[in-house]
Amino acid sequence: MTTVQGSSVDNAGSLLTRLRQFVTAHRFFDILPILILVVVLVVLALFIPNFFNSRNIVNVFVQASTLGLMAIGMTVVMISGGIDLSIPSVMALSAIFGAMHLRDGGSIFVSCLIMLTVGIIAGSINGFAVAYLKMIPFVVTLAMMTIASGAAIWVTNSVSVPVFDEVFFDLILARIADIPRPIIIMVIMALIATLVVRRTLFGRWLYAVGVNVRAARASGVPTNLVIFLTYVISGAFAGLTAIILSARLGSASANMGNDGVVLDIVSSAVVGGVSIYGGIGSPLGAVMGAIFITVISNSMNMMQISFFTGLIIKGVVIIAFVAFDSLRKQ
Amino acid sequence: MGNPYLEMRGVSKRFPGVQALTSVSFEAYAGEAVALIGANGAGKSTLMNVLGGNLQSDEGEILIGGQAVSINSPLAATANGIAFVHQEMAMLPTMTVAENIHISSFPTRAGIIDRKAMEASTAEVLTRLGCHFTPDTRIQVLSTGDRQMVEIARALLSKPSIIIFDEPTSSLTSREKARLFDVIRTLKTEGVTIIYITHFLDEIFNICERATVLRGGSTVGGGLLSELTTADIVHMMIGDVGLDTRSAKHSTQQREVVLKVTGLNRRGVIKDISFSLHKGEVLGLWGLLGSGRTEVARAIIGLDPIDDGQIEINTGSGLHPIRPREAQRWIGMVTEDRRNEGLLLPMSVKQNMSIANLRGLLSRWKLIDNRRETELATHFVNRLNIIISSLGQPVKTLSGGNQQKVVVGRWLELNPPIFIMDEPTRGLDVGAKAEIRRIIFELAEGGAAVLVISSEIEEMMALGERYLVMNRGQIVNELPGTSTKNELMGAAAGAAQME
Repeated sequence: MTTVQGSSVDNAGSLLTRLRQFVTAHRFFDILPILILVVVLVVLALFIPNFFNSRNIVNVFVQASTLGLMAIGMTVVMISGGIDLSIPSVMALSAIFGAMHLRDGGSIFVSCLIMLTVGIIAGSINGFAVAYLKMIPFVVTLAMMTIASGAAIWVTNSVSVPVFDEVFFDLILARIADIPRPIIIMVIMALIATLVVRRTLFGRWLYAVGVNVRAARASGVPTNLVIFLTYVISGAFAGLTAIILSARLGSASANMGNDGVVLDIVSSAVVGGVSIYGGIGSPLGAVMGAIFITVISNSMNMMQISFFTGLIIKGVVIIAFVAFDSLRKQ
Repeated sequence: MGNPYLEMRGVSKRFPGVQALTSVSFEAYAGEAVALIGANGAGKSTLMNVLGGNLQSDEGEILIGGQAVSINSPLAATANGIAFVHQEMAMLPTMTVAENIHISSFPTRAGIIDRKAMEASTAEVLTRLGCHFTPDTRIQVLSTGDRQMVEIARALLSKPSIIIFDEPTSSLTSREKARLFDVIRTLKTEGVTIIYITHFLDEIFNICERATVLRGGSTVGGGLLSELTTADIVHMMIGDVGLDTRSAKHSTQQREVVLKVTGLNRRGVIKDISFSLHKGEVLGLWGLLGSGRTEVARAIIGLDPIDDGQIEINTGSGLHPIRPREAQRWIGMVTEDRRNEGLLLPMSVKQNMSIANLRGLLSRWKLIDNRRETELATHFVNRLNIIISSLGQPVKTLSGGNQQKVVVGRWLELNPPIFIMDEPTRGLDVGAKAEIRRIIFELAEGGAAVLVISSEIEEMMALGERYLVMNRGQIVNELPGTSTKNELMGAAAGAAQME
């Protein structure tokens, strides 16, 4: 009887092994996310007549731009093998401080600087705790998320801070060749970030740390510094996102960084081919993922699928991609 | 002597691209220990994995007690009385000895673990092994030797008639080793068949009756050990390749000091380490396992923190004190554990080779210069004779020898004045070992200073021009390059007995 048990376990094991080999052996799977995006787009074009209307497309891309920027920050952290759950709440807190300064008659430049600085400070705290105090990224950034959203509500009394400054709107939202600036900023940042991770010292160190931190250290990589910087960078991207989102919404509030946003960021990264296990992925991929996630939300909206059903669908998509990620990880 | 209790006949196994076993025959009698010997890649593990049910052979048959049996899973192996004592002990440190031993088959009563029965059967096995800890001891408080005993206890639980020991002594002290041998002798008198895999030839003469030698996946010889000498076995293992001969030794008197370590301390690990390393010198750091050799190396390059002490490096204009974290700019260290603390396994050969030298590859725009990265990697792949299909090949797909050369190549790219090689040839076959040693010689001839750590005395003999002997975290002796094998062995063993 024991032999029978053994062989059935073996069969299940070998089936999974074969699936794994198939996934790792075929380069086709590297472009799977893009392929799925194309299929989804075709389906949408068939079922939603207005979907490819240029206004809707521009709209989707503008929506995706803030998610995309945050996903770039998350990607940098995830490549190093960490995670930053505090991005949306830090983004909201940054936006609130910046908007308050603007509301009280401060200059646009200083407001933007405040937003970036708040993000960078929060990121530095995360980075210090993870890199030097060797704390677990999940716990540290979860705590930072709670702190930042608590502070955001405390400072604003849950009332949103209005941003009424035409010059600010113009500066951030104006179109260049019919393309709104947020999209351009996202694309440029994605390109710069991709160049940085692919071709600079920091980038190569980043992947090395994500692949094997001990081996990286033994090869002379300043691993603590690299890990610290990843959180500073994600904080900075949270600040940059705060600038764009507060201009787009015309206000800043604690609600900007609600719980759903962090899920969207992680989904964007994972769908875009960034590995939860570290060492794999690119910012450009994460931006593609952000567009994909936004398209799904947007189209479900247009198909009048309820918000809650939408959450279920998103959850399923994420599990599918994480399953794929762990298959790829031999 | 009658018929063999275990017989493997004409076993062949092919992996994609490699014929791992070619019609191998192996036999063992009840109540005796058979040594299974061979260089790395000779097929020992493959053969034992076939016997243990982890692999299926393509051809061949297995007979136990004269009956042909089919072993198609580890469970089937257990059912046929075969137990495996693994080299790398996979244990759950926070659980007790009894729990670890029973982890795959807890005795239950009405679905609840029967703690009493579990501890009783554990106590019985532990008494048999002469262990003094109780079944409810947590693994984490046990020494390596005691853990090895737990591993054996786990194997004994199924009352096996065949026990495979895979390198059981590699992490044991001499006292623990003696205890292990006593246990093996007892098992033999109880009629158990022992298959003993090891690299240490002195052990097999001590504990085994017969030997089977594999080379390149085939049985190349064997027989009663009472009729064989060490030289015979080495000859069977490596074929007609000449053994390493000792290199010419130079005087170290006039050469300048490139690394000077003074009073290095780390509480409970290393104590008062002081020495100098000269240009063009190969200095051997010698001592038994656990004497603190690796810890000294790690402290010097800043991988582990130090409490106090000074490290000075000749950076071109005389000796300057440096902070440990900076040391890696002048010292290339090949770590002993290349898979976990050396290679970036999923990354390419090229990226693995450039990782230590990225600062030297930056272009004007602070970007990594792809062309120079490729050129340098190509250069060192050729120089070290690394066999790869392309520079983009992931390192994890290379053989052990080629992987090790990639690690060495990484530091050659940086071209530092000092190298530390911690077990540079561990796990490599004879050919790759010789190549790595040749590279070490070339480095020293080229003016680099090399600190070598090795557990293999032959390697130490072949490489060292001078030896520092370590024990319990301290340097206790210095020996000249002309020391004999006995002197080196004596120094390490004597140091360990002093206390």
